[in-house]
Amino acid sequence: MTHPFQSLFLNSTRRNLLLGMGFSLLLTACSSGSSADQKLTLTGSSTVAPLIGEIAKRYEAENPGIRIDVQTGGSSRGLADASQGLADIGMISRGLKAEEEGEFQGFVIAKDGIGLIVHGDNPVQAISDQQVVDIYKGEVDAWQAVGGNNAPITVVNKAEGRSTLELFLKYFELENSEVQADVVIGDNQQGIKTVAGNPNALGYVSIGAAEYDIAQGSPIKLLPVDKIAATTETVQDGSFPLSRPLTLVVTEPPMGLTQDFINFAQSEQVHDIVRAQNFVPVSSSLAQTQSEATAN
Amino acid sequence: MQTPSSKPGLDWAAIAIWTIATLITATFCCILLDILWHGLGQLSWEFLTTAPANAGRDGGINSILVSTGLILLVCLSVSIPLGVGTAIFLAEFARGNPQFSRWVRRSLDILAGVPSIVFGLFGYAFFVQRLGLGFSILSGGLTLACMVLPILIRAAEEGFRAVPDGYRLGAASLGLSRWGTLQQVLLPSAMPGLVVGLVLGIGRAMAETAALIFTSGYVDRMPGSVWDSGRSLSIHIFDLSMNVPGGEQQAYGSALVLILLLIVINSFASWVAQRYQLGL
Repeated sequence: MTHPFQSLFLNSTRRNLLLGMGFSLLLTACSSGSSADQKLTLTGSSTVAPLIGEIAKRYEAENPGIRIDVQTGGSSRGLADASQGLADIGMISRGLKAEEEGEFQGFVIAKDGIGLIVHGDNPVQAISDQQVVDIYKGEVDAWQAVGGNNAPITVVNKAEGRSTLELFLKYFELENSEVQADVVIGDNQQGIKTVAGNPNALGYVSIGAAEYDIAQGSPIKLLPVDKIAATTETVQDGSFPLSRPLTLVVTEPPMGLTQDFINFAQSEQVHDIVRAQNFVPVSSSLAQTQSEATAN
Repeated sequence: MQTPSSKPGLDWAAIAIWTIATLITATFCCILLDILWHGLGQLSWEFLTTAPANAGRDGGINSILVSTGLILLVCLSVSIPLGVGTAIFLAEFARGNPQFSRWVRRSLDILAGVPSIVFGLFGYAFFVQRLGLGFSILSGGLTLACMVLPILIRAAEEGFRAVPDGYRLGAASLGLSRWGTLQQVLLPSAMPGLVVGLVLGIGRAMAETAALIFTSGYVDRMPGSVWDSGRSLSIHIFDLSMNVPGGEQQAYGSALVLILLLIVINSFASWVAQRYQLGL
């Protein structure tokens, strides 16, 4: 057992240490009350959050004294938090549905388009939606069945939880459990590298990332979907079917800081950030009509 | 593997047990090696001391580390006094009322098994909205404290129960007061139990994602105070691997830092406990 005095002494220093820790915590806690900075809170889609986070950082740098907190948790939470007033702006990775138009106002800040990619040497120029479904279900497993070489198809699918996977499955009306994948990949870069290294692979990635890598000399090519070429232009004008708008939503007509930030997020000043996150920028004049067009 | 035995069939049991133990260790080693292999290249002083940039793909994790530390500090400074207090009550003072303490223990066991997302939603509804703390490190730390408390209390209680009654009788016969007995005899002897609870609690808190995404939030700015939203390491890893294309490498780096932190904290806790117990 410890010597009483020794232990008593040590106990008191230990107590002081704890007290000091608690006290300093209290001090930091109190000091925050004095900051009268303007603050904007956004919550919602985990696809949009990293993009808005970067836009917010630039906005903060250009407007000292303003803080923009970006939270995540999914599109439905974005709508719920904006509706309850917990967030100033909600973020959703889709357009507003018709029944939501009454309560919310949407502002498209960027678009996300997904293109099918094959190796540059693959002679196939186009495959129909039904052929894509058959290939991903494993019912067609050779390129000659869709007009290509006499070779098996290496089906490249996205890992669970990716937003591109969701959009892909939704468009082709597939369940992930039905997909017979040969390779499961994580990010766009991994998908591009997989297809670039395998002449018989079929995959799908964000169009922005694919175009960038094609420009860098990567031996891949984008296939049209439903006869529409997969380019940032067709994504931008809304004609490319496999795309979705990334939308900011508010419940009341935006004013002051909220309006200023939405304008900033739609402006050309952030197009480089949008591209860096592999999304397609939309011009602000287009954004309003896009929001209406995708309302159905 | 030959184990000398008189009963036939015992060798098989031994082999089965050895195989299971090896498999478990191998799984752990696989995960650790994978993280080490991918993460070691990311690890540098710069990684630890610069702010995240480009949605976490570039830069480091300095603000994430500070947020994680603050969340843990809030969590522990609330849960340790409450947890140890409750454990003392259950083990030392509630003996006259077994009905009540059984009830407390049962509810603690149920709480310990509740999925963390439930704690997250509770924290979101109670701390963030009802108490108006907003998305803040404070909300996150308090939510984690609720989550960690059952584990902490049950382990600490076991620690106090493991102290032989002879110690209590001896202290009483020497004329020590109840408080004195607690301070001089019971606390040092129960220390191993407390540390086990603490280590388990810290482990659960540091690894937590679901409960924090709704409370302490996602903001990766350097927090100015506990009222700010701050992103924990676990959320950073989750976000980099799930939402940020090209974030895998940084995710591995962050995961490695998280594991190293856990090892350091755990060894520090056992070191402190050992010194306390020996009365150095």
